[in-house]
Amino acid sequence: MIYENITFTADPFSYDLVFDDRITLVGGDSGTGKTVLYEMLEDLRLIDEYRSIRLFNYKSDNFLQSIKKCRDSFIVIDNADILINEEVKRFINFEFSNQYMLFLRNCDGLNVSDESFKVLKSDNNRVTLEEEL
Amino acid sequence: MIDIYTEKKDSRDWILQNDLYFNLYTSNEEMSQNEIDLIKQVDEARLTPDKHIETKYGLGTIRNLSSGCKTLLNIVKHPDKVVCVEECGPNVLKIIFTMDNIKIYMSRPTLTDIPDGAKIRFNDSDIVTGSKGYHTWWGKEYERREADDL
Repeated sequence: MIYENITFTADPFSYDLVFDDRITLVGGDSGTGKTVLYEMLEDLRLIDEYRSIRLFNYKSDNFLQSIKKCRDSFIVIDNADILINEEVKRFINFEFSNQYMLFLRNCDGLNVSDESFKVLKSDNNRVTLEEEL
Repeated sequence: MIDIYTEKKDSRDWILQNDLYFNLYTSNEEMSQNEIDLIKQVDEARLTPDKHIETKYGLGTIRNLSSGCKTLLNIVKHPDKVVCVEECGPNVLKIIFTMDNIKIYMSRPTLTDIPDGAKIRFNDSDIVTGSKGYHTWWGKEYERREADDL
């Protein structure tokens, strides 16, 4: 695992994200703050502690070529349902040096476990990843 | 009638990238009270007349709505288009299946509640009714995909 947890404060919120698997799929309702988290990570990745974070979304140039170059990285993909194809799934399944947090609903073809499925929960402005029921 | 398409098609009549389409086009259109209410329901966001939004995450513009909410508004504003709903959460899909005369693309079934009276047409062909008809169709579709080794 690159990061077992990612913790930071973005007032009024505090994020305490714990990862239980090499691949984390964040699903749940729309409007729960996935893209807000993605935008926070755009800043967080600029500090030394989190420099292994690599971010991709629908605006990313050369997504396929870029992601396949990633090693020893914590890869976050927003809009993953429209970005990920079979080739990317194979890369995710077999490039074990990386860890992945995917904002994705369709897990077909990915080597995931029961601990991969998470939703973002906010309780008194504390944001965590909880098991998706 | 809700038209569902299950095979992806690259066409100008389809919206596959909902964030992009919304940010470039739909967000510039006038929002009705119904659409303002949908924004409130899905994202708990208050839309101001000048297209700013207030949410628990702070202030932003209409382009800061969630992908699911943008998809819903693309459907409402452009019922002639086939809109990809793969990025929608259960809360948005539940609303979509209460609507009529819309066209959506989904490549796999959802467990979302579907009203008993909902009329659904798959791929311009098979017409089914309600949750039972919906899931029966998908059961047969998965048998077909398995037989075709898909």
